[in-house]
Amino acid sequence: MGLDIYKINPEFKDIMPQEIIDLEENATWAQNQTKPRGIKELPETKELLEEHSLCAGCPEAAALRYVLSALPKPEDTVIVNSTGCTSLMFPHIALHTVHSLFGNQNAVASGIKRVLNWRFPDIEKDVVVLAGDGATVDIGLDYTLQSFFRQENITTICFDNEVYANTGGQESGMTPKGQVFKMAPTGKKFEKVKMWELAKTSGCHYSINMTASAPKAVAKAVREAILIAREIGPTYLNIYTPCILEIGLSANEGLGEMKDQDKDRFASYKYVSPEAEEFLKKCKAEGRL
Amino acid sequence: MSTIKDMTETKNWSGQTLVTADHMLFEAPRNKHFMTGSEVLKEAVKRCTVDASVSYPITPQSEAAHLIGELWAEGYVGVYFRGENEFGVMSEVAGCSMAGARTITTTSGPGTLRAMENFAQWSGTRIPCQLILMARGINSPLTIQPDNLEVSYMLETGCMIWYAENVQELFDMSIAAFIVAEKPDVHVPIVTVVDGFFVSHTRESVMLPEDDIALFPYEPYKSPLPPIDSETPPGRFLRDPFVMKSNYISYATHASWQWEVRSAVERSRPYAEHFLNGLVHITGNEDAEIAFVTCGTASHQAKEGQRELEKLGIKSKVIKLRTIRPFPKKELLAALEGVKYAFVPEFNVVGWLEKEVKTALYGKSDTEVVGGPRVAGGMSLPAEAIIQEVMEKINPVKGA
Amino acid sequence: MANQGPTYYSPYPTAVYEGVITPPEGKALLLTDVVDEEIAMREIAKVMLTSENATIFPGPQVLYGYNEEAKKKAKLIKEMAEVLNSKMIPMYDYRPKYPKIDAEVEINPNHPNLTIWHNNIKAAIFIGVHCHYANVALKIVRAETDCYTVAICGLSGHEDAMATLRDQHSSELEKFIKIAKEVKAELGK
Ligand SMILES: Cc1ncc(C[n+]2csc(CCOP(=O)(O)OP(=O)(O)O)c2C)c(N)n1
Ligand code: SF4
Ligand SMILES: [Mg+2]
Repeated sequence: MGLDIYKINPEFKDIMPQEIIDLEENATWAQNQTKPRGIKELPETKELLEEHSLCAGCPEAAALRYVLSALPKPEDTVIVNSTGCTSLMFPHIALHTVHSLFGNQNAVASGIKRVLNWRFPDIEKDVVVLAGDGATVDIGLDYTLQSFFRQENITTICFDNEVYANTGGQESGMTPKGQVFKMAPTGKKFEKVKMWELAKTSGCHYSINMTASAPKAVAKAVREAILIAREIGPTYLNIYTPCILEIGLSANEGLGEMKDQDKDRFASYKYVSPEAEEFLKKCKAEGRL
Repeated sequence: MSTIKDMTETKNWSGQTLVTADHMLFEAPRNKHFMTGSEVLKEAVKRCTVDASVSYPITPQSEAAHLIGELWAEGYVGVYFRGENEFGVMSEVAGCSMAGARTITTTSGPGTLRAMENFAQWSGTRIPCQLILMARGINSPLTIQPDNLEVSYMLETGCMIWYAENVQELFDMSIAAFIVAEKPDVHVPIVTVVDGFFVSHTRESVMLPEDDIALFPYEPYKSPLPPIDSETPPGRFLRDPFVMKSNYISYATHASWQWEVRSAVERSRPYAEHFLNGLVHITGNEDAEIAFVTCGTASHQAKEGQRELEKLGIKSKVIKLRTIRPFPKKELLAALEGVKYAFVPEFNVVGWLEKEVKTALYGKSDTEVVGGPRVAGGMSLPAEAIIQEVMEKINPVKGA
Repeated sequence: MANQGPTYYSPYPTAVYEGVITPPEGKALLLTDVVDEEIAMREIAKVMLTSENATIFPGPQVLYGYNEEAKKKAKLIKEMAEVLNSKMIPMYDYRPKYPKIDAEVEINPNHPNLTIWHNNIKAAIFIGVHCHYANVALKIVRAETDCYTVAICGLSGHEDAMATLRDQHSSELEKFIKIAKEVKAELGK
């Protein structure tokens, strides 16, 4: 079926809003592209994110736009979300997406992926999880790791803002040691969890720690992670999207903060399993990257 | 392993001939077998063209879950795996069902409570999955024994709840459950309850149709909201959105949505009446002034009590509730017409069924409701206890 | 009564709590009564033709051409709008929109009342909306407006609408259009 679900019947074209017409006519889908989709098309094409209600300048919104621009096959991609600031963008993503509970995203995604494989043996349907650090590493850690252990064919993306933002700024497992946040009024007592390393030891074939400062780098990681998840096994991206509200930055300071952290807590970490490495080479040769 | 591509117009992927639920339940010839509740559930699932099942061990439901795994290994079930814990399992079930699969799982006691947040989420997102609850006590202290307190926690989750008395009913109900839950105007989860051990582990004779027939598959495109598979418009679709936000408030959406889930449960009545032959079953003396209102194994014990009372010249009847959600209020009121005392024997300490009965009767009936006898924690409910309860009520001076 | 809504804070009582449920196969629902499909079709046409600002709300299952049936229905709904002299306002997706919708040009299941208030719609047909979202919307509309709602449903129908037809595929829509034309002629509209 693919793109047909976006095709407006001609009888209704005159009553449909421009944003919906644009989705049909001017969004990039794998089916109407010869080359892989990517960040470069963002300025001229209709984006898959219509609007959002995050704080002005929140880096999560920019990062999600990069993620969506890089999906290898958006028309067959399901994204599973969790409760948190990211959920405020989810109703506005032009794909089939899920929000069920806080922390169960990797479990829900496992069920979806296995059933889509069963129901559509001839169509590659990608399942991506996108959730906050509280969802991924604290309340949902069991489900995150267990989906890695089980070698589920899903990509997990954590928008790590090092805090429970949506509930008003509480310390999370991903908060750096010493930071004062609500519920850690004298400063956090333990180190930031190295989730990217846990991902590696738990069976991910691709694990990255990065910031969202460089759109191209984010897009590349997303694309590679999804292709590997499809063919080989679970992949993990930990992406710094600072909560400017909670760390007291203004709307235009998010990028600078991410650039600073490129050299510090989010200094590039990348693990690719030998199998995945082989596979990426093959993809490159075939022009899939 | 089977693949869904092996399915044809007339056969499912494991080569069974596709039949309607009416044929399966009312028309297909049956043969006598001797099996436990766990074993019979395997036979039911085998005949239901089930796409997916997720499992987790806990007594007394483990064996049923193993046997569904065997069905998967034999090619009858499409997807099967063990989840990480019951919260994870029920979330995985949600994923399977949203993605368009006919899905079943099983749990008991502590597993039910561990998974609790999911059940309201299941009904809210309108998935027609089936949970087989093999009731056992809940902590603390730990017990694996039969006790149905856990059912009281399920009452307001927005799921349908049916209660089977014995092995035969478990077979028939769990098949009908899929069909009723999947009706487009119902399409909410269904919990089929049996008492652990008393049904899961007790071998009884049952009548089963042949296993070369199976139900027509689930039709995900007849659901009340789009399945999550990128195949149905709207392309932009979140299941399910936040309906509140400080700069956006639709105060009525959440309320309406919740009413809609409860309305969906109500719409199951005519379908359940058809497939279950009525929401209540009555045995004993029609015109008795003493009645037992029961569900599950307590019905069996009450029937024995009724026969014993009859020998003593005391007329009584057993009104067995087959559905708890929706609650068969109209049927219960009709059955209690002219009844003086309604006893509610139960396998739990709180008397949740008594409360349900009293709520239904309030202001509508002159019947006096007597909560008891009540046993718990794995105690059995002998007919003598039931008789004693009755005697003390109707003949307080003499006793039993 | 599923007649008019309670005009109250909450979309309660819903029709099922007043003893009304979806009509059985082959039948339709007019307020609280189960009636023959044709009787309901005539009444729906009459209400649409005689109410102020009658509007059709097409939903995703007919707005997008994702299968042959949807394409056929689109043509028929366009014709239906002409026969019923009604406007069309789409419910093109189900997302809650921030901060508000444009009630002039769209209807949203989370606050359908806004579109009805704004356009002063006295009768409306929901068609091609997924049942769950139609029901969420219909309950709100019933509670908060005096709009006569009609649900033309491909599945089991909607008891919270004032009139509902069930199992409506393109052949049934053709039948409805034919009846609507007759009613229109009778009314001289
Ligand atoms: C079971 C449960 N516990 C707690 C919450 C409250 N809650 C909602 S969002 C949230 C914080 C989310 O933090 P994170 O995942 O880091 O996302 P962020 O908002 O920072 O993007 C919490 C604690 C909830 N919704 N459900
Ligand atoms: S609270 Fe923080 S994470 Fe949430 S939208 Fe605002 S800046 Fe972004
Ligand atoms: Mg966070």
